[in-house]
Amino acid sequence: MAIEERELETIDINVNVGPQHPATHGVFRMILRVDGELVVDLEPVIGYLHRGAEKLSENCDYRQAIAFQDRTEYLAQFNAELCYVIAVEKLMGLEVPERAEYIRVILTELNRIASHLMFMGAFSADLGVFGTLFMYAFRERERMLDLFEEISGDRMMYSYFRVGGLAWDVPEDFVERTRWMVKEARKGIADIDGLLTENEVFLARTRGIGIMTAEQAIDWGFSGPMLRASGVRHDLRRAEPYSIYDRLEFDIPIGHRGDVYDRYMVRLEEMRQSARIVEQCLDQMPKDGPIVAPDLKRVLRPPAGEVYMRAENPRGEYGIYLVSKGADKPYRLKIRSPSFCHLAALRDMTIGHYLADAVLILGSVDIVLCEVDR
Amino acid sequence: MLGLFKALGTTLSVIVRKPVTLQYPAVHKELPHRTRGFPVLLWNFEVVEPFCTGCRVCARYCPSECISVTMKDNPLYAEGKSKRRKIVDRFYLDYGRCMRCNICVEVCNFDAIVLNNSWSGHEVSRYDRRDLVNDLDDLLAESKGGGLTNPFREPLGMAHSGWSPKPRGEKAEAE
Amino acid sequence: MIADNPWIDATVRTLLVVLLVILVVLILIWLERKVAGRIQMRLGPMVTGPYGIIQSAADAIKLLTKEDLRPATADRWVFELAPFVAFVPSLLALIALPFTAHLFVRNLELGLFYIVAVSGLSTVGLLMAGWGSANKYALLGAVRGAAQLISYEIPLVLAILAVAMVSGSLNLVEIVNEQGRVPYIVWQPLGFAIFIIATLAELRRNPFDIPAAESEIIGGPFIEYSGIRWSMFFFAEYINVFVLSVLGSLVFLGGWNWPLGNEVGWPLQVVLILLKTSAMLLLFMWLRSTLPRLRIDQLMSFCWQVLLPFAFVAIIVNGLVLVYEWPDVVLGLLSGVAALVAGALVYHSSHRTVPSQPWSLVPAKGID
Repeated sequence: MAIEERELETIDINVNVGPQHPATHGVFRMILRVDGELVVDLEPVIGYLHRGAEKLSENCDYRQAIAFQDRTEYLAQFNAELCYVIAVEKLMGLEVPERAEYIRVILTELNRIASHLMFMGAFSADLGVFGTLFMYAFRERERMLDLFEEISGDRMMYSYFRVGGLAWDVPEDFVERTRWMVKEARKGIADIDGLLTENEVFLARTRGIGIMTAEQAIDWGFSGPMLRASGVRHDLRRAEPYSIYDRLEFDIPIGHRGDVYDRYMVRLEEMRQSARIVEQCLDQMPKDGPIVAPDLKRVLRPPAGEVYMRAENPRGEYGIYLVSKGADKPYRLKIRSPSFCHLAALRDMTIGHYLADAVLILGSVDIVLCEVDR
Repeated sequence: MLGLFKALGTTLSVIVRKPVTLQYPAVHKELPHRTRGFPVLLWNFEVVEPFCTGCRVCARYCPSECISVTMKDNPLYAEGKSKRRKIVDRFYLDYGRCMRCNICVEVCNFDAIVLNNSWSGHEVSRYDRRDLVNDLDDLLAESKGGGLTNPFREPLGMAHSGWSPKPRGEKAEAE
Repeated sequence: MIADNPWIDATVRTLLVVLLVILVVLILIWLERKVAGRIQMRLGPMVTGPYGIIQSAADAIKLLTKEDLRPATADRWVFELAPFVAFVPSLLALIALPFTAHLFVRNLELGLFYIVAVSGLSTVGLLMAGWGSANKYALLGAVRGAAQLISYEIPLVLAILAVAMVSGSLNLVEIVNEQGRVPYIVWQPLGFAIFIIATLAELRRNPFDIPAAESEIIGGPFIEYSGIRWSMFFFAEYINVFVLSVLGSLVFLGGWNWPLGNEVGWPLQVVLILLKTSAMLLLFMWLRSTLPRLRIDQLMSFCWQVLLPFAFVAIIVNGLVLVYEWPDVVLGLLSGVAALVAGALVYHSSHRTVPSQPWSLVPAKGID
């Protein structure tokens, strides 16, 4: 008896990893088309968090706009504030006193560690570690936020940098506290390392997932840890040094394959290098001195002109394009956000992998929705 | 296998550490000196009136536009008890809009407003959003009641000119 | 025999066991939260009652008072019967589970076989929940769950069968009695390792909790359930945890027998078996809080390409030792060697793709 063989007809289903989801790191929507478990197509939908930050900045003078930078990049606030403040200083031709520069860089690098700790926590939550690594990472991050509260007054939205320097001086025990903080951060990094790096399950989940070769990464406009994990040696702190980075000695971790594991390792190692930078700054910092540029007017009116300043944020290249027409408010303040450019490549990274990997790849891009949508 | 055992060992070593939980609201953590709570107005205890004269500088510089102020002639000036010609008449500050950026404190010419760095500056919860709009009496209550023991008043306004507020009392006597 | 009537005897014993186990489950839920909290450097529930012991009861009351929702497009009878189909087999397994030589509901001659067979029925409940929910996430979760549960039944059964071969009986009381001198974990380390892994997969706990992966398909087949129905799934899971932990301590750790023997009174025996069960439970909770979860295809390939061949190896080794009547030490040695080989295999296959240094450093003084 002949048995008819027939191909089983299957339908791809559209899975909406919707704006409300524990794994999308914010209100981000992915429309996946899956064939069983294999992702066939992906469409990212953004815009759920658009608040018009750039337009609102046009109604604020240069000091008020610092608060907007905090809220745009809410995990690496000092980095965003630094980029903005240096942009205005470039426009005005100001020179910032040394002590202020050192304190700025110390706080910026500590914030880099805090942001990468948040990445570790959120990434491990996507992986399925029940909450353990999240708590370890957040214990260190909480300590850092407490330190920032002692300096600037707030745990997350600092508004501490000002055009020309800092808002006020750091407390007296700053140097000892920061040294202790760096030591504790190193212990926390060792905890995370021990829990994940050699874990066989972690290796099986993250090796070979979401690969972006170096040429692809450059084509898509990657920057920061994503670019370095793909093997491109590019770090803005070295290529175009701003502030006092040209006086500091630090290594840059470069990945080999550009998969999720390399991105994790690059960020882990960057944390250690940031700790090294902070220690050098603490040694080199002048003991006292002015913290604000001299002879500043009360109301800042930069001369007419435009400037594009880019900084190495924990997420990538954060850029501020500032156009001034001589008034006390900026004419146009455009933010170039790294997460926005990385999300454009999400489709190419994810097609061909499984549904479980799609969540991991999104986690490894380390997006901050506020800067994607501004 | 070794990586798994290392992970299990890391977890096991954590069990013997002290947990980091603080059981709020039974226990409150110690707030640092500079912590930024919500703004409150200061009360001048020598001359029995608020420091605020209603000049509206804070309202002009507030990014969220959460302050509205009006000023009136100071009756105590007419009686000769106070040096301020004008005094604040009405002062409304919307805690729902305030983002505690500290700009109002920096620009105030009279050191009249400060951010409340005690727990009462942080524990401000209401059931209705409209109850978050505070008027002059609410804002003065903290200072009048003596709750503001150590407000953060380090050199402010330096960031813009090296200008600092006149030290209270000393310069007035020197003049 | 209570009241000399088998029906009354069975009913009373069953009711007693069910009530006790429900109490145990409430304690288990609290324990899980506390252990997870300590591993995560925090306290766990503390507010409801001293050290939070009333937390489970508070949760149960909250769940019971919730609105019973059902999606409009859901298949009504499939949706509503799924929790029962998942819940009842866990209770059925309690009937053949002995806690001491005389404390059981019924001691079946095929006790071991019965427990494993009945536990497998809850897979149907999972599938019904996934299909009846009319939700794509639920369907994905249910399909993954079905694949996982069916696959991992086989190594579980084979590991237990290996032990049954050594003890010569499927009767649980006899298996425990045979372990008077040495518990079977010493003679069957490979079987124990396979049992632990397969149990974790059967219970859908980390690292095998992909059917209900919280961060991807948020709850999987249980996504549309709320209130009492969800709590039935939850209870079923914890009763299964308890049953399989007791089974593990009976079959591998010596039950109530080792090390004190059969002559001590039943209170001490109950304490002993509860201690061993707690050890297994704590092991499961520790593994849950530490390991990331495996992807479904990695899970399946692990089962069929690693666990199953080594389960066969265990049975073959047992067979050889029993037929040629080699001493027990040989059995323990061979089994241990096989377990180490399995571990080395896993290590090499996962570390093969990692270069010796996964990243390189551009040194501080280098060009750029």
